[in-house]
Amino acid sequence: MTGSDASSRLLIEIAGLGVALNCEDEEFARLVAGAYSSFLALPGTPAACEFAVHIAPPRGTDPDEDVRVSLADGKWQIRRGDFEAEFDPRARQGWVRHTANPYSVDTVLRIVHTLLAADAGGFLVHAAGAILNGRGLILAGASGAGKTTMCRLAPPDAVLLSDEICYVMRHGEEYLVHGTPFAGELGIPGVKVSAPAAALYLLARGNQHRLVPLKPAEAARQLLRCILFFAEDAELAGKVFNSACEFVRRTPVYRLEFQPELGVWELLK
Amino acid sequence: MSGLMERVTQKALALGVPLSVHLDLTWRCHLSCIHCYLTERNGRELTTAQLVRLLEELAECGTLFLLVSGGEVFLRPDFFEIVEAARELAFSVRVKTSGTLLDDEAARRLARLHVAGVDVSLYSHRPEVHDAVTRLEGSFARTVEAVRRLVAYGVKVRVVQVLMRMAEGEYSRVRELAAELGAEYSLDPTVTPRLDGSRSVVRLNASHAAWRKVFEDPELDARPEHCPLSPEPQEAAQTAPEWDSLPCSAGHTSCYISPSGDVYPCVQFPLALGNVTERPFREIWADSPAARRVRSIRVADLPICRSCEFLNQCSRCPGLAYMEGDLTGPSRLNCEQVFARTGRRPAPLAE
Amino acid sequence: MSELYVARHPAAAWRRLEDEVIVMAAQESWLFTLNEVAAEIWEAADGRTPLASIVRDRICEKFEVDFEQAYRDAEELLRALAERGIVLLSETPLEAGTP
Repeated sequence: MTGSDASSRLLIEIAGLGVALNCEDEEFARLVAGAYSSFLALPGTPAACEFAVHIAPPRGTDPDEDVRVSLADGKWQIRRGDFEAEFDPRARQGWVRHTANPYSVDTVLRIVHTLLAADAGGFLVHAAGAILNGRGLILAGASGAGKTTMCRLAPPDAVLLSDEICYVMRHGEEYLVHGTPFAGELGIPGVKVSAPAAALYLLARGNQHRLVPLKPAEAARQLLRCILFFAEDAELAGKVFNSACEFVRRTPVYRLEFQPELGVWELLK
Repeated sequence: MSGLMERVTQKALALGVPLSVHLDLTWRCHLSCIHCYLTERNGRELTTAQLVRLLEELAECGTLFLLVSGGEVFLRPDFFEIVEAARELAFSVRVKTSGTLLDDEAARRLARLHVAGVDVSLYSHRPEVHDAVTRLEGSFARTVEAVRRLVAYGVKVRVVQVLMRMAEGEYSRVRELAAELGAEYSLDPTVTPRLDGSRSVVRLNASHAAWRKVFEDPELDARPEHCPLSPEPQEAAQTAPEWDSLPCSAGHTSCYISPSGDVYPCVQFPLALGNVTERPFREIWADSPAARRVRSIRVADLPICRSCEFLNQCSRCPGLAYMEGDLTGPSRLNCEQVFARTGRRPAPLAE
Repeated sequence: MSELYVARHPAAAWRRLEDEVIVMAAQESWLFTLNEVAAEIWEAADGRTPLASIVRDRICEKFEVDFEQAYRDAEELLRALAERGIVLLSETPLEAGTP
């Protein structure tokens, strides 16, 4: 059932990309496996990169402080009070040293995936996502914009990809939106499934439900504000910028002004 | 199988017509059933235009019965477009779905398209057990709701239960539930290995005792659900086995096409015959070396099975044999079922 | 005699297999096979062409049969098929769009 035959190797697959975590501590591996259960990959799945995960004694610093990501010598250095990690994109491997908190793994995964996605012409975005009638809908916005609300109002036949972070990946000539295990307030990890990205909605509160089509330039500007972005690196920024522009060229984008009540989803059908 | 259906199948066989085709539109699914045989989820999918073109080719080749499935078919935005195209080409269309995304509108549309039927899976009559299999909380309720909606619109629904260890004693309750809902019921006794050959899911199979009960139940037609035209396992026959008889219809009068357009003899027989984006289906079906190889096999070509005393009682799946590594070898899961049924071990299981 | 129009039932599924046509009636899952003559009529049954024309143009010459007999046989067959729900019979043209 878990993504590993050896007791401590877990393969977590998001948007078709597997990140292998080789945990020196079995108990910790079990914790992580439990937290990401629906995103564990089958044992034979190829991994996009391998991480060695070490437990280190806590240093008593703040897990809520911002994570710092920088590039040194071709390797990404990831630092926050409660952990440090390194990722070598060319060797496709790295290590993580942290306190026994499965959710620091969450941060590392988010960061690694933003790097993997950028190289593949995709990006992670602060957005709720849903599949309705086979169409992938992305509902983007910052904290408090209404992602959780929209999820709560979703009709029963909508498949919720996530209430917090969606994964947009280039797939030939089109874009797919994938579910992620990165949970928001609802605390429900998303579903591991994807759909062709049919529309992007930038959430805004309004007096009534309204859809306002956005032109590509404005759409790209607003989308970029919602894209997950950790590192101050020019090359990475360039890739993400291009991906966002390409995406809005191919996908209809709207500002969705809404009131938190049923009926808003009718606009999205 | 009725006499007429038998005759039609024989004619299709003689003409080399793929009478039945199982077409998966996608391997994506929002459920994560513990026993699912699919491994590759995010592969390439045929476009709407490619699918319509494929349907036209299949109609030209003589295909009549089409099973549309996945993954979850309702995750394709063009699902109804495809079914409409199929009905316009006069296919008899069955749809297989979890039913969890099937709203009232969808039920109505399926009814108006006059689909031959809809298959849904139920693993238990108990919601918590069913949901533990699908790993989607609330899926049982949604599926049952879907069955009610479809039946209300006059669509013929079949509840298919794959028999699994944690629910092996409950199949008669599921059968009752199906009857209550106005649906037919069918039991698939076998959890088959994953398409990549991994056999980890095989441990989910029912016990031998449960299998025996199932095989002895006169009211149950316990056959693998994707083998509508396979020969029925008969009682131990006094007659000699038919040396030139066919192992099963896969590759003869039926085949499977994956979401990316790969053609296989059957969904459980991952020997690729060709890809429809590279060659016309007709050519793949008639000419590919792999297709010819599969079609050349007769009972006489099976070194172990041809001399097995249980030959006439076994529903040997060539796909499972292929996945075990030998196209002409035994299929151990079927040997196990014979053991369960008779209490005696076929040669491959000899101690 | 008044005109008779015949259309394949929209719920039917069918396929030609050489000289015969196999028909599946969706509702009851009944299987029918239509012989050469019946198959010819079936394929022409678009709901807009009168049965008389179908018989005259497609049956009489091809199968070298007399019109009156052929028409009677055809009508009898089609009424039987209509009872089984695989064709629609009407004295006015039927809507196009049957499979």
